[in-house]
Amino acid sequence: MIVVLIIVFVLCLVFRFPIAFSLGLACLMYLLLAGFPLVVLPMKMYSGIDVFVLLSVPGFILAGNLMNHGGLTEKIISFCNHLLGHIRGGLALANIGASMLFAGISGTAVSDTASIGSVMIPAMKKEGYGEGFSCAITAASSTVGPIIPPSVPMIIAATLSGLSVGKLFLAGAIPGFLLGGGLMVVAYLISVRNNYPKHPRSSLKQVAKGFIETFWALLMTFIILFGIIGGVFTPTEASIIAVLYAMLVGVFIYKKLNFWRIQVIVLDSMKTSASLMVLIGFANLFGWILVTERLPQMISAEILGFTNNKYLVLLLINLLLIFVGTFMETIAALLILFPILLKVAVSVGVDPIHFAVIAVLNLIIGLTTPPVGVCLFVASSIGKVSIGKVSKASLPFLAVSLIVLSLVTLIPKLSLFLPRLIMD
Amino acid sequence: MQKAISRILKYGVLLSTYALVGSVLLQIFARFFLANTPPWTEEASRLFFIYATAFAAGLAFEGRYYVHLDVFYNQLSKRMQRLIDLAIPTLVLVLFGLLTIYAVRFVMLGHQEFSPSMKMRMSLAFCSMFILGASISYYALKDLPKALKQVAP
Repeated sequence: MIVVLIIVFVLCLVFRFPIAFSLGLACLMYLLLAGFPLVVLPMKMYSGIDVFVLLSVPGFILAGNLMNHGGLTEKIISFCNHLLGHIRGGLALANIGASMLFAGISGTAVSDTASIGSVMIPAMKKEGYGEGFSCAITAASSTVGPIIPPSVPMIIAATLSGLSVGKLFLAGAIPGFLLGGGLMVVAYLISVRNNYPKHPRSSLKQVAKGFIETFWALLMTFIILFGIIGGVFTPTEASIIAVLYAMLVGVFIYKKLNFWRIQVIVLDSMKTSASLMVLIGFANLFGWILVTERLPQMISAEILGFTNNKYLVLLLINLLLIFVGTFMETIAALLILFPILLKVAVSVGVDPIHFAVIAVLNLIIGLTTPPVGVCLFVASSIGKVSIGKVSKASLPFLAVSLIVLSLVTLIPKLSLFLPRLIMD
Repeated sequence: MQKAISRILKYGVLLSTYALVGSVLLQIFARFFLANTPPWTEEASRLFFIYATAFAAGLAFEGRYYVHLDVFYNQLSKRMQRLIDLAIPTLVLVLFGLLTIYAVRFVMLGHQEFSPSMKMRMSLAFCSMFILGASISYYALKDLPKALKQVAP
């Protein structure tokens, strides 16, 4: 019976059914064949969505969109340009820096690629940077977003495993900065080799002005993080505070938002959130079927029968997740695979928090893995550059991402140091 | 009729979202400034969140917000692509049509259950699944004639 479930799911995916509905149709087929009452369908869907911590997902999406529509993207890019523009390949470095700052506001890689790419790719091309390089650096840097807190995939991982959202947020911080730093080093080396341009050094006054303009956005990230870590707010409360804050900043400080614009942003954000929640609802049903069929135990036994070596198991998991992440959207892949693989990882002695970081990092690296990584496609369509060219230019950045992944996999302290230091 | 449905769903999304924001803010305010935190705010927030999701789910389908894989589809012939374009709303209609029908039974099951703090009949909360199923079914049904037209020789 489980074979039918998997075959229907894969067929639907291949034939371009939305991932959420592919899960739903596979579950429906299973329920019909196994003779389960179909009332399980709405029941499991409801219980999958009715989780308090999930309320933070629409909150963070809405807060990010409000900030973005409030004109923040340009301000962040301008600040990073003042800060890093005088170094060789300054715009490329500013691109990565902007993604790292934007990470705290957006939390998803594809939206980072679209928002920052629409400003940065044309600007980089205009200044003489290679078009493939411009797109590749934008796609690669946007993967920093879902690792640096606040991160939507981390909230989903917390929901699936019962881990603390605050601890997961903190666990992603060092790997996120490592990834961003590594990308900067490679971008700098490529820029020196190709003699890409640099800007005159900005005055201290310009840097300070840029900082003041982005200060309100950065403050939002701090309020969220310290609110959660300090135990002042739950993640859901922090996300709603962020919404209120972003509205006030957009209306009264940046003066880019009005009543009607806010309605449009709310609608847009809730549609994005609803598409995720339907996915989560069906994934809950899918997961219930897998557990009923004892599939996680079977997979776990198979892997552990093959090897008990912690590092070999992690290597196998890494390969599987990167492969899946290349084809599938991060959250969908996380919902389907994380609960199963977590069981395997924990049984060979991997800390669940460490594993959550590894899983998210793998899946987001998949977004920039040629030839079908989603972020590469988004960047290539913004830059109007062939995917082949972007794929080739993305290889050095992919190598950095894989090195960071290896470090994060082999050195648990990179993920566990901050949560243990601050929250234990 | 089409405009009315779309408008109802949009207002549903907006009202539920603002109610969600309001109840969470009340929870925070009460914790810091009042002697007691109302016990119902968490339950109310979850209810508003599920309703916001239910109202937005159909609009998200209409706006093509659900992520899918294009890689294999792009390799197929035009004729095959059109057939798939017809199969998608048809099977989505089957899936969500059944979800809507069984949501009615789910609502009836909840008629005798009460939520712990608001003492509200759970059928009210379970109604959200009916709205979610019905709204996606409606937009899938709306897509069908166009998809059929493209397949017809």
